[in-house]
Amino acid sequence: ACGGGSDESGGGGNGEETYEWTFVTEENEGQVQYEYAQEFADRMDEKTDGQVTIEPVEFGGLGSEVDQVEQLQQGAVEMAVVSPGFTGTMVEEGQVFSLQFLLPNDQEDVQQVLNESEALNDTLAARYEEEDIMPLSFWSEGAMQWTGNKAIESPDDFNGFQMRTQNSPLLQQTYREYGADPQVMSAGELYTSLDNGTVDGQENPLFFIEASSYDEVQSHLMISNQNSYVAMTTVNPQFYNELPDDLKETFDETVTEMQDWVYDEQVEQNEQARETMTSESDIEQVELSEEQRAEFREVTMPMRDYYVEEVGGDAEEILTTLEGEIEEITGESAE
Amino acid sequence: MLFTLLAIMVIFLALGFPMMVPLILAPLVIVLFFFDAVDPFIMLQQMLEGISSYVLLAVPMFIFAADIMSQGHTSKRLLDFIGAFVGHLRGGYAITTAAACTIFGSISGSTQATVVAIGGPMRQRLLKVGYKDSTAIAFIINASDVALLIPPSIGMIMYSLISGTSLGDMFIAGIGPGLLVFIFFTLYAYIHAKIYSILLAAKIPWKERGKMTFDAVFPLLFPVIIIGGIYSGLFTPTEAAAMAVVYAFILEVIVYRTVKLKQMFSIALSSGLVTSAVFMLVAGGQVFAWVIQFARIPQMITDTFLGGDPGPIYVLIIVSIFFFIGCMFVDPIVVILILTPIFYPAAIQAGVDPVHLGVVITFQAALGSATPPFGVDIFTASAVFNRSYLDTIRGTPPFIVMMLVIAVLLIAFEPISTFLLPDN
Amino acid sequence: MKIFKWLDLGLKRTEEAVLSLAIITITVMVSGNTISRNLGLGGWAFAEEISQIAIYMATFLGLGYVARQGRHISMTALFDNVSYKYRKALALIIPLVTAFVLFALAYYSYDYVLASQNRVTNYLRISYVWMVVWAPIGFLLGGIQFLRNFWVNVRNKDVYIAAERKDYDTEQEAKESNQL
Ligand code: NA
Ligand code: NA
Repeated sequence: ACGGGSDESGGGGNGEETYEWTFVTEENEGQVQYEYAQEFADRMDEKTDGQVTIEPVEFGGLGSEVDQVEQLQQGAVEMAVVSPGFTGTMVEEGQVFSLQFLLPNDQEDVQQVLNESEALNDTLAARYEEEDIMPLSFWSEGAMQWTGNKAIESPDDFNGFQMRTQNSPLLQQTYREYGADPQVMSAGELYTSLDNGTVDGQENPLFFIEASSYDEVQSHLMISNQNSYVAMTTVNPQFYNELPDDLKETFDETVTEMQDWVYDEQVEQNEQARETMTSESDIEQVELSEEQRAEFREVTMPMRDYYVEEVGGDAEEILTTLEGEIEEITGESAE
Repeated sequence: MLFTLLAIMVIFLALGFPMMVPLILAPLVIVLFFFDAVDPFIMLQQMLEGISSYVLLAVPMFIFAADIMSQGHTSKRLLDFIGAFVGHLRGGYAITTAAACTIFGSISGSTQATVVAIGGPMRQRLLKVGYKDSTAIAFIINASDVALLIPPSIGMIMYSLISGTSLGDMFIAGIGPGLLVFIFFTLYAYIHAKIYSILLAAKIPWKERGKMTFDAVFPLLFPVIIIGGIYSGLFTPTEAAAMAVVYAFILEVIVYRTVKLKQMFSIALSSGLVTSAVFMLVAGGQVFAWVIQFARIPQMITDTFLGGDPGPIYVLIIVSIFFFIGCMFVDPIVVILILTPIFYPAAIQAGVDPVHLGVVITFQAALGSATPPFGVDIFTASAVFNRSYLDTIRGTPPFIVMMLVIAVLLIAFEPISTFLLPDN
Repeated sequence: MKIFKWLDLGLKRTEEAVLSLAIITITVMVSGNTISRNLGLGGWAFAEEISQIAIYMATFLGLGYVARQGRHISMTALFDNVSYKYRKALALIIPLVTAFVLFALAYYSYDYVLASQNRVTNYLRISYVWMVVWAPIGFLLGGIQFLRNFWVNVRNKDVYIAAERKDYDTEQEAKESNQL
């Protein structure tokens, strides 16, 4: 019962061919990505009457996030939840998701953009497909929030602030624009470093902050909504293209219905996490006002040119189209 | 498939092949013959993954710092200082070694770095006062691994991240078993010193102790810089290791002038040699872990053992056995990453306290990494001290017995870990 | 034959330089980043990536050097306790088979290098090939070194752990090593 492909003699489905697929995620059981994979597996199992068995894999089992993507590209695993943040070295255009204050503030609007955007679902997806990563959908795991050892209410509060970021030059440049000092650090070192004050703060969606116990070692939680944590449901293109038609139809249908499911799931998980931190944690919550957010947003605007210039390729087309699409949905100028 | 994997491991290991060969060849054969869909280039991907952790960079840094210090005067002054205070006590050196390794290991987050940084200098002195090399090494390896139980344990951080258990509770729950281990080790050190009539130094008068303390002022700043630097937030543990090199360089090259600048290249070469030998095994261990996970071997085995409606003690025993075996082959952190998600749900369903489960898992990881035939810290010690594999493991049996006794106590009496927790 | 001696010496010196400079580079990168950050001059964002290249180079390009010195870690319980005839046989089989395993790894690693061509490194944004190309080179050089360890055992009657390390030179050394 291992990773690959199909099996002539399986027990399910009246002598029909059975399939066993591996679905890797970047998170652990109980967290949004893994729960997504599990729900996807359950639905496929039910719809195909046991003909398709999907095995979700937690983070770390098959290596780092980049390792997992490479295993998807190569065909060792069939499906993966991928965050573009970790694939910025393979498809540089994907760094568009690292641009803060670009996606709408409201999660419902974010989901609509991710569902409908041609810039993402066509242009960006095509770039991934060239690298043998086939995105079938984009979805949000919730808004990103800052935590710190002090309140961050204006860009000035970032002066000299040691900010832990993912290893992305664009994100690091963003924090330099704020006046902070970006530090790259693995998740394994982060808790202790926050505790000791080696770094002063970090950013993540609420459910992840709570699950990683960062609220135990940070004094302030900013409801800052500077970005949304976007993930993609991806498949190996060859695997997908070789699926029998009826199965492919069931597969696509499941991808589509999962968009609403994962929206509800992330909203619930993030709300739950916020409630838990309110009742059980000493961390002080600071809700940034629209004016305060606008101040941060102003500082990040040059990063859009940085993205276009540094990435090149389809970056400009993707960004311009996406800005237009966002404007259409929110009714506000994305500029 | 499991049979092929184990057969290759055992045969190549027993014949005396370099350990990296079975660790890499066994997964390669599995990939070539069992997984058509997998390109064998994944082997290299996983090897790189194994050695790319930033935390692991502390290992070459501490090796380098220790090499500089032992070339110059720092180690000697430090050891004279310790000797002046514990040399006349029965088992004093061994107990000091154990304490130093445990404290250092808990903050460095790397049991391998501890073997190098503390084990290196302490071993020299243990040999000098009459300990057998195998006993000295066994003390070093085991005390370094127990550090996994002491906060800020990286093992507990990973467990808590995966299971969602409160990390604060985990840290508190590690104290009980940690103390228990330390009591056992101390008793053993005392009895061992008595049986083997380890020479006791004459009690050093306070005046001389004063002089030795004075001579050791700069070397004594080492632990202050490393531990103080980490807790005050100046450095991460990896950075502390690099700062240890800088400080050793300043002391030996500039202050004491015992090491010439030119010698730094040959010292770095010898550190590089050990680093390469150890890191190839870490790389191989990662490939091995990957193939086991890809083949879903742990799931197959748990389905077999944890079907039905098992009780909490039975589950804990099974969990212990698997973590123990796993950590004999692969780095404990990798084992915690792979096995925790597989066992956690079954254990919670059987009524095991999640914090207690985490402590048992961390304890078994510590025990497993000090246990032959594999065990990363055995490799490291063998490479760093340039001793054959058998010499390195000869002294471990008493420690394994002690640790197994504690394991049984821990499984049978949950309060050993949970008694300090607020809810209990 | 003299040219081989020179080539070998050149290779040995190169391996020594790589190992030594890799360790020094990591020290400078990690401590430089720490000091710079604590002085308020900002962290060195490139430090992690350069350290990573250095550790990859040391690990893989060190393979041959470690083999040359006979310092690869192995479990020698059987080897140390069998008669000369079996020990000699093992001293021939082990390096020969190891060499072929390393050549196979060099081959597969090269495939990974090819597959990494479209990827760039995180900070420097240079081709990822510069990160990983050391692996196939290292496996190849390591394999050659193990072939030499095999050959020295073919040519000589004594048992050699490595081309530059004889198994217990004297009776005395053998005895000492067992007194532990
Ligand atoms: Na630790
Ligand atoms: Na181990």
